[in-house]
Amino acid sequence: MNLLSAIIREAKFMVRDRAVLVWMLVVLSLSSLAVWSGMDAVEHQRASIERLETADREDRMIQTSHVKSWGSAAYYGFHLTYDEPSEFTFAAMGQRDLSPWKHRIRMLALEGQIYERDTGNPLLTLVGRLDFSFVAVFVLPFVLIMLLYDLRAGERVAGRHDLLVVVAGRDSSFWLVRAFIRAFAIFFCLTTPLFIAGIVAGTSYTTLVFASLFVFVYTVFWTLLCYWFASWRLSASVILVALAGAWITLSVIVPAAGRMSIDRIVPIPSGADILMTQREAVNDAWDLPKATTMNAFWERYPEWNEYKLIEGSFDWNWYYAFQQVGDQKTEPLTIAYREGRLDRDRLAGMFSLLAPPILLERSLQALAKTDFNAAMAYEDRVRDFHAELRDFYYKKFFRKEAFDKKLLKDLPVFTN
Amino acid sequence: MKQLLLIAASEWRYWTRSYLALSGTVLFMVLLIVTSLLTGMHSEEQAHEREHHQTEAENTFLAQPDRHPHRMVHYGHYVFRSPAPLALFDPGLDPVIGQSIFLEGHRQNSAMFADSGSSANVGGLSWLTPAMVYQLFGPLLVILLGHGAIVRERESGTLAHLLAQGISGRSLIVGKGLALLCFIILLLVPLLFSAIFSLSHGEEVLSALSLIGVYLLYLSMWGMMTLFFSSILQKRSTILATLTALWLGLVLVLPSIAVSIAERAVPLAGKIETDLIMQEDIRKLGDGHKPNDPAFKQLRANILKQYDVEKIEDLPVNFRGIVAMNAEKNLTGVLNDYADVRMTKETQQAQALSDYGWLSPKLAIANASRAISGTDLEHYHRFLREAEELRFDFVQGLNNSHAEKLTYQDDMNRNRDDASGLKARVDATSWEVLNVFDFQPASAVDRINNAFQSIMMLMFWFALLIAALLWSGRRLQP
Repeated sequence: MNLLSAIIREAKFMVRDRAVLVWMLVVLSLSSLAVWSGMDAVEHQRASIERLETADREDRMIQTSHVKSWGSAAYYGFHLTYDEPSEFTFAAMGQRDLSPWKHRIRMLALEGQIYERDTGNPLLTLVGRLDFSFVAVFVLPFVLIMLLYDLRAGERVAGRHDLLVVVAGRDSSFWLVRAFIRAFAIFFCLTTPLFIAGIVAGTSYTTLVFASLFVFVYTVFWTLLCYWFASWRLSASVILVALAGAWITLSVIVPAAGRMSIDRIVPIPSGADILMTQREAVNDAWDLPKATTMNAFWERYPEWNEYKLIEGSFDWNWYYAFQQVGDQKTEPLTIAYREGRLDRDRLAGMFSLLAPPILLERSLQALAKTDFNAAMAYEDRVRDFHAELRDFYYKKFFRKEAFDKKLLKDLPVFTN
Repeated sequence: MKQLLLIAASEWRYWTRSYLALSGTVLFMVLLIVTSLLTGMHSEEQAHEREHHQTEAENTFLAQPDRHPHRMVHYGHYVFRSPAPLALFDPGLDPVIGQSIFLEGHRQNSAMFADSGSSANVGGLSWLTPAMVYQLFGPLLVILLGHGAIVRERESGTLAHLLAQGISGRSLIVGKGLALLCFIILLLVPLLFSAIFSLSHGEEVLSALSLIGVYLLYLSMWGMMTLFFSSILQKRSTILATLTALWLGLVLVLPSIAVSIAERAVPLAGKIETDLIMQEDIRKLGDGHKPNDPAFKQLRANILKQYDVEKIEDLPVNFRGIVAMNAEKNLTGVLNDYADVRMTKETQQAQALSDYGWLSPKLAIANASRAISGTDLEHYHRFLREAEELRFDFVQGLNNSHAEKLTYQDDMNRNRDDASGLKARVDATSWEVLNVFDFQPASAVDRINNAFQSIMMLMFWFALLIAALLWSGRRLQP
């Protein structure tokens, strides 16, 4: 018996199987709903960015219209930074619901600003939204389980099992074909809305191909698992329970255990310590001799050390120097916090090899640029931008350039 | 009654011989005990750490030397949100909301540093807590044990026998239900221990009891649903598949769909965006650092009239401090207006979400559990409000010493030289305007009130299923 005819026969069977059709419809509608909801959320974020850009420009214009020195221009000038959603973000919102993706930054100490969180309603974040990755990672395996657990036991109960095996010839290939035909039907129902949405959203074909490849491998994994469990000579109920147990273990228990152990293995400094250190450093500077602050500043910026300071009176150069020194003093903690989070993510990446659901979720987030690395990259871009901002003003301050409002148009602009 | 007990007892005997039932229960209990211990430890550590930080922040503030009071306004203060006692069972929003807020003059900052921002990223369902174990897996275990209750008698042919003996369909179902209820009560023992433990951390008995109550309601509801399908469907594996599919839909999928709908129903702009709009309102108020700002013309006239003097130099109080106090008051009014709008919208979203509890009992139980544990959105808002109150009080306290303890002349000359700078200070006892921050959950009655609607939803499901069971009991046939 050749494979092709087996496939055609099984496909015909499947089309007549009401249960399969119902599950196909369920997956198709859930997937459509998920990509639609994801696209809507991304649309919302883009609209918000657009409004923010206008409002930010207007606000800076008003704020700087009455400033009379470089120092006060830097003090009142806030700058919008944001992380634009990618063309695939709609499929996996990932860290975008948890980590900030927009900040308004000014030239004061950055450590006091970069941990602000402008995230949405925490309740909605906690419950979690319906996006494609949720459907693919958690719902898909369940549907496969429902379709495949009684692959054989059902026929066994109906008394057709042995007959089918005799008629169909080689034992395993027949069941395998049946299992995979059902699985692929579900796979197509899942990925078709993704492709359509991807084309609408302008996602690159490579991304779409990779995404569906990941989901495909995941489908194959669960199909083989179901196929293996279903081949046990046990009752359908026992097989179903065992498969549900496998789902729970891989999707919930292993990830939970992983998260708890990784967080314990890699400790990170508490955020409170970073903030307190930074505040004390900035605040103490008011009472320290100016030379102490300036010397610490010049260690980092030797190019400005010809500046003459006057003790006793207020001076913008010194003011911004102690902001800078505040960040410098926090640096060991900041680096430890950053490295700790990166280490946790690296470990989580390795750990995900143990549990396909985590692996798929992380892979989709990586494609969508909503993973931890993307959040970190944004944080780094904000830091770079802050450095550019400081460079711009330091030149004005230390070269004693006369204040000219027109030159503010040369301010660095945050680019994505 | 004896008959019912016999039916229940024989069901228990069956479970003790069933490998599936036993291993399922053991696994569930192990999972529950492990997560209870880990969540409890984490909650304890967090409470300890945040209390420590809180004391430290207060001490540093009070230990500041003599200085200009306005510098203390900008020096600011930190408050930390310590978890409620029942967070050891249901941490609720804790991992997704910031733990601390920096309080300073002229601004309302957001809460920073949420656990979820720095924890290992291993997927959406990895935040396992005892509450989650009950909400997600409790129903599955009840289904596992209960799905065969009636159909087993039918498949083995004993159902006809039992009915012929004069046992009515209803009493058979009630008997099986009794067995399942006892099992559910057994499942709740770890929760009982968590509740008792929370009492030693100052939790009220009423909320601990009602927490156990809502979970009893939730799991019983699933028990009845299981019995219902067990009595109306013919094939054991079909029943199991139907119930598992229902579980997937009601527990996992519907809540997520509801989130997407609630988000759309009540659009919520981000804080940066509303802050920018707010700036326009704030600009009209005048800058409290600049007493010559035209916005304070009226204030100047009033105060000169009040003290019956010609020039602000002649006032017995420091006009700069008066301006600072006045400006902070007006500014805070605007800040609070915007914060209120934001919180109202968030509450509306939460309400839109919780309305779906009529469809998904998982949403209802999760809402009720968070509300009773004091870890819901309501309590987060409460934390924000209390922090804001503390901020306003200490800033105004400092502004008050700015007005009362520092003369206008000294204040104006503060930047002239070091000696004038030293003169423009107030003594450090003035920092005692800072109140102790002690965030406590609302009273048990208030929390249960917040959970009221969700409890009603669970009751609705409960009543609906009782009716369904009575109906299916009457028409039970072999």
